[in-house]
Amino acid sequence: MATVSLKSINKWFDSSQVLYDISIDIEDKEFVVFVGPSGCGKTTLLRIVAGLEDVSSGEVEIDGIDVSSAHPIERGISMVFQSYALYPHLSVFENIAFPLRVAKTPKAKLQEMVMRAADILRLTDRLEHKPGQLSGGQRQRVAIGRSIVRQPKVFLFDEPLSNLDAALRGEMRVELSKLHKSLNATMIYVTHDQVEAMTMADRIMVLSEGKLEQFGTPMDLYHHPKTKFVAGFIGHPKMNFLTASCLSIDSDGVKVELPAIGKQLLPVEPIKVNQGEELEVGVRPEDLMLSETGKGLPLKVDVLERLGGSTLVYGSLDKYPNFCAMLQGDANVREGELVNLDVKPASFHVFDSNGNAMKRREVPEILK
Amino acid sequence: MERFTFVQKIFLYLGIAVFLTFMLLPFFEMFMASLRPLQHLFRSPYQFWSDDMSFQAYSDIWETVPLLGRYIFNSVFLASVTTFLCMMFVIPAAYSFARFKFKGKTISLGLFLGVNMFAGAVLLIPLYKLLRSMGLLNTYAAMFVPGAAFLVPTGIWLLKAYLEKIPIELEESAWIDGASRMYILRRVVLPLAVPGLIVVGVASFIGAYAQQFLFAITFNQKREYMPLPAGIFEFVGYQSVIWNQLMAASIVGIIPVLIIFLFLQKYLVKGLTKGAVKG
Repeated sequence: MATVSLKSINKWFDSSQVLYDISIDIEDKEFVVFVGPSGCGKTTLLRIVAGLEDVSSGEVEIDGIDVSSAHPIERGISMVFQSYALYPHLSVFENIAFPLRVAKTPKAKLQEMVMRAADILRLTDRLEHKPGQLSGGQRQRVAIGRSIVRQPKVFLFDEPLSNLDAALRGEMRVELSKLHKSLNATMIYVTHDQVEAMTMADRIMVLSEGKLEQFGTPMDLYHHPKTKFVAGFIGHPKMNFLTASCLSIDSDGVKVELPAIGKQLLPVEPIKVNQGEELEVGVRPEDLMLSETGKGLPLKVDVLERLGGSTLVYGSLDKYPNFCAMLQGDANVREGELVNLDVKPASFHVFDSNGNAMKRREVPEILK
Repeated sequence: MERFTFVQKIFLYLGIAVFLTFMLLPFFEMFMASLRPLQHLFRSPYQFWSDDMSFQAYSDIWETVPLLGRYIFNSVFLASVTTFLCMMFVIPAAYSFARFKFKGKTISLGLFLGVNMFAGAVLLIPLYKLLRSMGLLNTYAAMFVPGAAFLVPTGIWLLKAYLEKIPIELEESAWIDGASRMYILRRVVLPLAVPGLIVVGVASFIGAYAQQFLFAITFNQKREYMPLPAGIFEFVGYQSVIWNQLMAASIVGIIPVLIIFLFLQKYLVKGLTKGAVKG
């Protein structure tokens, strides 16, 4: 049982503020990912939870107890660092056993616990090696071994996969998800990679410049981004944005003037905007398809990326030079061609000039 | 690809040869002098080689100065104690300077560097008064206490630079696992700093060995406590100086340091250049 609550966390480094009033509640056994671009404060926030940084104001609660000024060990957390932080002079066994040695665990118990951790992480035949003799993936597993051996209540991961190559990263992602299920522990994971966030998280917190943008399930973030930032950050390839002026607002949604398409009613729950105000309209590349009628958004194809299962089409649309569409299968388009793209009105995301989203009315049902 | 042309290489080796000659000629002449009979040393014209050269002086030194063995021991002993004492202060201080933020950090580091600019000789009189009031005159401590004090600043600077290169995550990770500062220093930092410790240790030892003469002749008058550089003065008699034996004793005295150096040389080079290149 371990819940983590962050209550109005603010953090200053000297005179610059890096975290603004962050409040979230993490449930027991939840896998939460902090995601955001570099320098958004996600690692600082994790270090605050770990006890490596103090809060400037606010509270960190673990299991309902305020631990804002407690030593890491009293918080019942363990942490895996981006650089793994393995002790190069100690064997794998001693690296995993380190927290137990600090805690003066009796020898027989220590042996048993290390062996169990090594077994889970398939490191049994590497115990006598030094970290320098291991591959990246194995080092990563030793670092995880060292964090699970103490059986903490909360696991913290600081970009643990960023030093691995792409193939290994995919593998470790699955392993971490499995580990989360088998350990039944609360995990907080920091990454700048939205794919990692989407694939592993129960809930994702998106941070931008020290501010909490949105905290929700991956599909919630994907289908109902609350801000333009979240909309652009979650999903790959990135969402396309167009500016459109607001023609009218009624109970059915917002009517806008779109380039090439013209007047279009978008089914969203409107927030207060003025007629004639410039709105941002977003559409995900995967929501675009080749038009069969010859109408729709005209895209001049610059670059094609054929992935087999899908085709990524990059080109310019009206005054937008970096427009992207993801077409199913090996689409029948050629570079230099002009293609017309269809998009369902319900697929559009609408943001006001401050980047706040209007709630979409018709979205696919989110599987729980 | 050849980095230097043939002509460049010739100049390179010429430079090295001039430098080495300049450095090593005194040692060579010292060795030659130790082999010559005393009367040959003053022979004119200068004779580089003669048939009556021998290692006789090397056995005579022990009789001329019966305490010579003791002097050599004193030298090594004093240098070792000085080094040990110095390290006891340098390790925690360098670690603090490398890792903690505190008020006056930059100023105190600057002061340490500034202190280094005063040669020991400038401070001899105040030091003498200090040692006298502490009752340390004419003891071993009179030599190793100021000796260590003068070596601490350099040691701190050297070791601080080394410790700063140990990734801080290692310490943070141990901290999260509940290790105390001392435990981290003992189990994580120091084992990783061994090459750096050797560099600082060797530098301190050499420094201690070189500077002990000054402290010995000012703060100590007991013959039994004298280190070699001071004890060697006994070869300087009222009537004459036994040059060949003096040279022989100097060489014998250098040998312990030379041996330590040969063993630790590879660490020294590794330590001084570590971190200069990534990897």
